[in-house]
Amino acid sequence: MSDLAWITKSPRPRITLSSPLGQKLSGDRHMALRLEGSAKETLEQGRNRLVMAGVIFAFCFVILAGRLIGLAISGIGTEESAISDADMAPPVAVGESKRAEIRDRNGVLLATTLTTASLFAEPKNVIDPKEVATKLTTVLDDMSEATILSKLASARNFVWLKRNLTPHQQYQVNALGIPGLHFRSEEKRFYPMGALVSHVLGFTDVDNRGIAGVEKYFDAQLGGSDESPSQDLMLSIDVRIQHALRDELSRHMSIFRAIGAAGMVMDVQTGEILGMVSLPDFDPNRPADFSGDSKFNRITLGVYEMGSTFKTFTTAMALDSGTVDLQGGYDATEPIRKAGFKIRDDHPKKRWLSVPEIFMYSSNIGAAKMADDVGPKKHKAFLAKLGLLDKPSLEIPEVGAPILPPRWNSLETMTISFGHGLSVSPLQLGTGIAAIVNGGHYINPTVVRRGDGDVVPAREVISAQTSDIMRRLMRLVVEKGTGSKATAEGYLVGGKTGTAEKAVDGRYKRDALIASFVSAFPMDNPRYVVLAMLDEPKGNAQTHGFRSAGWTAAPIVGRLISRIGPILSINPVDEDSEAVQKAMFIPINSKEKKLASF
Amino acid sequence: MKLNLTVLSLVLFAAVSYGLYQLSYEVQELEKDLSSLNENIAENKETIRILKAEWTYQNRPDVLQALAGKYLPLLLIAPYQVASVGDVPYPPIDPKQFSVPVPQQKPRQNARPTAPSMPTGPVQLATFTRAGSLQ
Repeated sequence: MSDLAWITKSPRPRITLSSPLGQKLSGDRHMALRLEGSAKETLEQGRNRLVMAGVIFAFCFVILAGRLIGLAISGIGTEESAISDADMAPPVAVGESKRAEIRDRNGVLLATTLTTASLFAEPKNVIDPKEVATKLTTVLDDMSEATILSKLASARNFVWLKRNLTPHQQYQVNALGIPGLHFRSEEKRFYPMGALVSHVLGFTDVDNRGIAGVEKYFDAQLGGSDESPSQDLMLSIDVRIQHALRDELSRHMSIFRAIGAAGMVMDVQTGEILGMVSLPDFDPNRPADFSGDSKFNRITLGVYEMGSTFKTFTTAMALDSGTVDLQGGYDATEPIRKAGFKIRDDHPKKRWLSVPEIFMYSSNIGAAKMADDVGPKKHKAFLAKLGLLDKPSLEIPEVGAPILPPRWNSLETMTISFGHGLSVSPLQLGTGIAAIVNGGHYINPTVVRRGDGDVVPAREVISAQTSDIMRRLMRLVVEKGTGSKATAEGYLVGGKTGTAEKAVDGRYKRDALIASFVSAFPMDNPRYVVLAMLDEPKGNAQTHGFRSAGWTAAPIVGRLISRIGPILSINPVDEDSEAVQKAMFIPINSKEKKLASF
Repeated sequence: MKLNLTVLSLVLFAAVSYGLYQLSYEVQELEKDLSSLNENIAENKETIRILKAEWTYQNRPDVLQALAGKYLPLLLIAPYQVASVGDVPYPPIDPKQFSVPVPQQKPRQNARPTAPSMPTGPVQLATFTRAGSLQ
């Protein structure tokens, strides 16, 4: 037996030879065969190369193994995980990049952003344009075959066929299965209420940026940014009241063939505007289809000489400053002539009138004398306190500043006392009346819903006693005076009519009137101010040809309050009951000669 | 021994790799599920948005008013139709239906107190007294 083995311990290769015969050759059984020279070198080299190759292979395999383990564990580097990384974001982020919603005070949706599909075509890939056009007209009924054909005939690679399809239309187009037509999803601002809340909401441009109304005012909040996410907005508007207001206004606008109408319902305690309508109005879903006049907000942007409704302020000022009391009065027998002007009464009584009578019969002469007694300075200061001389602040950009007379002397005070010579917006008038009836606190109007426990900042303008008298006087106007058509049984309506001739090019137009009625209810504890205004109403047979506010604007308020009273949970009272009569009692102190001695 | 160790380590290596890959595939599957779920959620949210807008659109006050005018015999609420709960009178009470049976005699009027008898038994407690007698 002979074998050849590496002797591992030996630093050098050694061949052990054992004798084939098994006999001992010498005393030493192992005989080292040492290779010398070239043979040894070759062997060394071979071994080194083997080791080197082994190390390199081992290194590569280690790297591969490491990479495999790494891939198996983390999975980073694959396409799939790149997608799922985006999905790993918190679920809130899904769909929140949209422009936020606007809701009314009860949470009814007023504006939202929807993802819609827009249809475009690649004319190169459309095989038979004629057939495509015929098929598409069955789905897109507002597009003619010729329009589609002309679009498909264009040489461009990309042509919009129709933006913002409805989901149903998208489904139908898909069902047609036409090659060369594709969808791209786009975001579209949608106003489900249509024209109902148009002037408050405003509208957005193609890129969903607000360009009018609260959409513009709260653009940053609704649109959101990288730092702050978009936030929903809750308005103080109540769509039920808004609808009742719009319904009544548009009906009376057509009855009296007026060119415009406006109305407002406002909470006197918080200044929240529950309804604000300006007619004609527009559909914010397609603002481009409407004229500029329909986008004009008559409530906030339009300023008008309001007429006799200003007598409310005049009377409140005179009573509050103490220049006259309820027992006092003025002689209204003769018209006042001053600086070439003649101040006369529309319904002349030609006798001495007490303060309640002046208010009730809307005597210009009486009001002018009352204001003149107070004086121009105090008059101006009082109206400034009521916010009638500054641009009001409201959360929409379309707010108009009042037009003040260039001078404010005795004559101006006299005309402004019955609402001529000073143009204010209906919003300012309503806010001022709210301050008169709510106990004398001026509260800034708002179209954003206030929180339930919010403290409403208010400043006192008249005393609580004066406010109480003014409530009774306004009730008297509806009960016995010019505003009797505003009666809404059970709701104790009180108000003041105002008929003013429109000033056109510096002259008063006799045939163009602004008829307004401003009211509050229920008068024993006023909760809401209601204002209605008609622009250029015309009389009809029912009103015996009269166009004045008592005939045209007052009925709107009466009807409206009957409608919205139950919605606003106002408890109707028996108006003839003793307690109510007592609460609304006001001594008239008339010196009218009674025709008793016939 | 050496062979055993090699075989064992090979088996172990195979088992661990198998487990690892299995896990990896499972995770991939889950990730796919997650992304499709998220997609579904986004789609559903969008659908909800559209449906809500549709619902509001169908419930416009003027539409409701037209429908109510067509199908409901309702008019404006008159003041006499509004009342508070306190205004509603209580219905008159029928004495026969709701009367409570009153006993004709006072209870226990005929009952006579029976004198407690002496406890039977050989032992009598020292604290025993006859009923009614003062201690």
